[in-house]
Amino acid sequence: MQPLTTEMILVMGMIGLAVFLFIVEWVRVDVVAILMMVALPLLHLVTPKEAFIGLSSNAVVSIIAVIIIGAGLDKTGIINRLVTPIVRLAGNSPSRIVIAISLTVAGISSFMQNVGAAALFLPAVQRVSKALKIPISKLLMPIGFSAILGGTVTLVGSSPLILLNDLTAQFKLKPFGLFDVTPIGLGLVVSGIGCFILFGRFILPQGSETSMEETGKEEISTLLQQIGEAYELKTPDEFTHYRDPVRIEDIRRRYLVNVVAVMEPPDFKVMSPTADMEVRSGVDLVVYGEEKDVRRMAEQEGMILKNSIEVFRNEVTEGASGTVEAVVAPRSPLAGKTLKQVDLQDRFRVTPLAIYRHGESYRAEIGDLVLGVGDAILIHGTWKRLQALQAEKSLLFTTPVDVDLMRPEKAVFAAFWLVTALIMILVFKIQLSVCLMTGALGMIVTKVLSIDEAYQSVDWRTIFLLAGLIPLGIATEKTGTAAWIAHTVLNAIGTVSPIVLFSIIGVLSTVFTLVISNVGATVLLVPLVVNMAIAAHADPRMAALVVGLATSNSFILPTHQVNALYMGPGRYRSVDFMKAGAVVSVVFLIVMIGMMYVFYGV
Amino acid sequence: MAIITISRGSYSKGKEVAEEVASALGYECVSREVLLDASDRFNIPEMRLVRAIHDAPSILERLGREKQAYIAYIRCALARRARKDNVVYHGLAGHLLLKGIPHVLKVRIISDLEDRVKSEMERERMNEQEARSLILRDDEERRRWTRTLFGLDPWDSALYDLVLHIRKLTVADAAALICKAAKLKQFETTREARQKMDDLVVACEVKAAFVEEYTDVGVVCEFGNVLIYCKSGERIEHKLQEKAKKLTREISGVHHMEVHCGIPAPARAV
Repeated sequence: MQPLTTEMILVMGMIGLAVFLFIVEWVRVDVVAILMMVALPLLHLVTPKEAFIGLSSNAVVSIIAVIIIGAGLDKTGIINRLVTPIVRLAGNSPSRIVIAISLTVAGISSFMQNVGAAALFLPAVQRVSKALKIPISKLLMPIGFSAILGGTVTLVGSSPLILLNDLTAQFKLKPFGLFDVTPIGLGLVVSGIGCFILFGRFILPQGSETSMEETGKEEISTLLQQIGEAYELKTPDEFTHYRDPVRIEDIRRRYLVNVVAVMEPPDFKVMSPTADMEVRSGVDLVVYGEEKDVRRMAEQEGMILKNSIEVFRNEVTEGASGTVEAVVAPRSPLAGKTLKQVDLQDRFRVTPLAIYRHGESYRAEIGDLVLGVGDAILIHGTWKRLQALQAEKSLLFTTPVDVDLMRPEKAVFAAFWLVTALIMILVFKIQLSVCLMTGALGMIVTKVLSIDEAYQSVDWRTIFLLAGLIPLGIATEKTGTAAWIAHTVLNAIGTVSPIVLFSIIGVLSTVFTLVISNVGATVLLVPLVVNMAIAAHADPRMAALVVGLATSNSFILPTHQVNALYMGPGRYRSVDFMKAGAVVSVVFLIVMIGMMYVFYGV
Repeated sequence: MAIITISRGSYSKGKEVAEEVASALGYECVSREVLLDASDRFNIPEMRLVRAIHDAPSILERLGREKQAYIAYIRCALARRARKDNVVYHGLAGHLLLKGIPHVLKVRIISDLEDRVKSEMERERMNEQEARSLILRDDEERRRWTRTLFGLDPWDSALYDLVLHIRKLTVADAAALICKAAKLKQFETTREARQKMDDLVVACEVKAAFVEEYTDVGVVCEFGNVLIYCKSGERIEHKLQEKAKKLTREISGVHHMEVHCGIPAPARAV
């Protein structure tokens, strides 16, 4: 065994720093990755060329292409159209719906980013839950977990698996094929869904079935009630005499009534007035609220409540405006900001009515709440303005409003290019990144999406997270740190059979992926476990595969992006993830090792 | 038609002025009654409440929660008294505890140190030096109390509508002036003023219910809609929400209640 060198200590220091920063999150994970990209060559642990080799790696290019293909599929609305027949097929039974949607999500997730697939289905699942009166908490968690598990079905399903071939290349191991992982992945998906079907009533939130139904129903009914209906009022001519000015936000705070339109005399109409606009004498206004609140306001403030919408009858109709529920998307620029800072009213001329978070609704004062991923906001506005808001992509809408922006007629082309890419991979055995990029290019050339839309869909955070951590993996291997740690660990645990070793690696990967990102865990662990496997005379390829798969075993804490996204809309708490996640995680490890034993004879 | 708060130093004739105003206007005159109310309602010995509202918090107490809780109880009792309207309050910190209420006439009565020393010597039968140092210490204590809890100086005349110096003005003169001011239109109990008073009572009730467990909550109430702010921890959000739901049913006048965690309370919060 090599002695410990200064370089090894430096590398371990950098790993320690990276893990520390991943956990405390002083800076975002992708910034940590870039820090590694810069610091490693400065410390002479990798050459400058190696430092940036990640950017041109197979993995990064594949991810870019996968994201573009996913965006293309999304644009054509293929996925939305899938949902309706699936739900019809499943009928009214919650279990059948969970199975049907989960399998579909898993299938899509195997060719797309997990969180992308999960986000696509969120609106559909919410609609199904409302229509069939099934508590949303019973649906979302199984579906979210399936999206994560679906990532293990093909080699392009999740970032760790995409990375795998790049990381094992330096050991001259035989690269994995696209469907090499499929048997294991399918086993994981089936067992994951099975967990929820068999033990759903024990592991999903809230003990008794009846209380779940009740809260579910209550949520839906209060949701609709709380928005209330539109009423038109008029302020008398002496409205502003002898009193403090009344502003739009005052009305909301005092009466829980939202002003969505104002007409100042003679006929100057303002839709979605800003919060600080003053209500003057002789104006007509349209408000959304419960009748008792609106009546209370009319009485207290001396406004005249009209019997029907008169002045705004053209604007406040279902055809022109409406209310949508929108969820803060993962990595949305809105997360971490308050509505006051974001100022939707001023920028998009839409009115946020209420915020739902962890099963609580906020109506009186919503401007000061710091938004988090998964918070649902009820927004009122004209369809045109809501479309503009949706196009910005910081919010996921439960009701699609951007019908114009979809290109359903291109669905055939999108499907054609996806199949082409797959055939190239499977039949002609061309390298993954080239095939996928061909598919992406094909979609752009056939105008499924424009090149600008393709660029916009690429998530640079993922790219730099991947590319920045690759040199850390190289440094760990090159300096012999990985070998040193592997030997030290093996000496400590003594001789073990390969299956025990793989189980340990599986548990280790699970722990790592929960605290640091799945990509981080993969990059750090793959060189390590390959060395361990070689030393213990086990198959190093399988050891790497265990890491690639087990880093998707992220269910116990809502740290995985999919779980973070579903936490808010599903009204889950961390405890709920711990309960269901613990069961699924254990089953995951057992099934993974079992399937490897059966299919690869480990 | 109004609420009159009279702030005073010890032996400054404030009590006499208050009593005279009350009898002239036919108002209720309250001071210790508020403490007794609070003591009764929240089951705290009166002596502790007196200390809470009189003595400046020590460094230890500033970290602790007891004094904050007692002040919340006193405020609650005072707000309930004041809601009845036509009240003269000559206890401590009335002008601060009833902030934001439009029909409160805030009066400060001051008098010369020499006169105060003389009164104290007469009443407590002590020598001049003792009396003087006692009064000075008392003034200093008040100053620190207001500074640490409200960040204000009680000697800042801008806190009051009326500052009256009892020397050339007699107690009767002062009372007459106050009565005249109290009858002004600005101090009429309008509908808006009554609403604000009701809201303050609700906010105080809610705060009093929370303060023992969660010292740093701030409560705002507007037209029965209660917002509870809690700067610390989103971890306790759930507990706060549970409690808020219970209180919505228990406290009358609450229309809607929301808990906002991780957000510092605005200045107008109780």
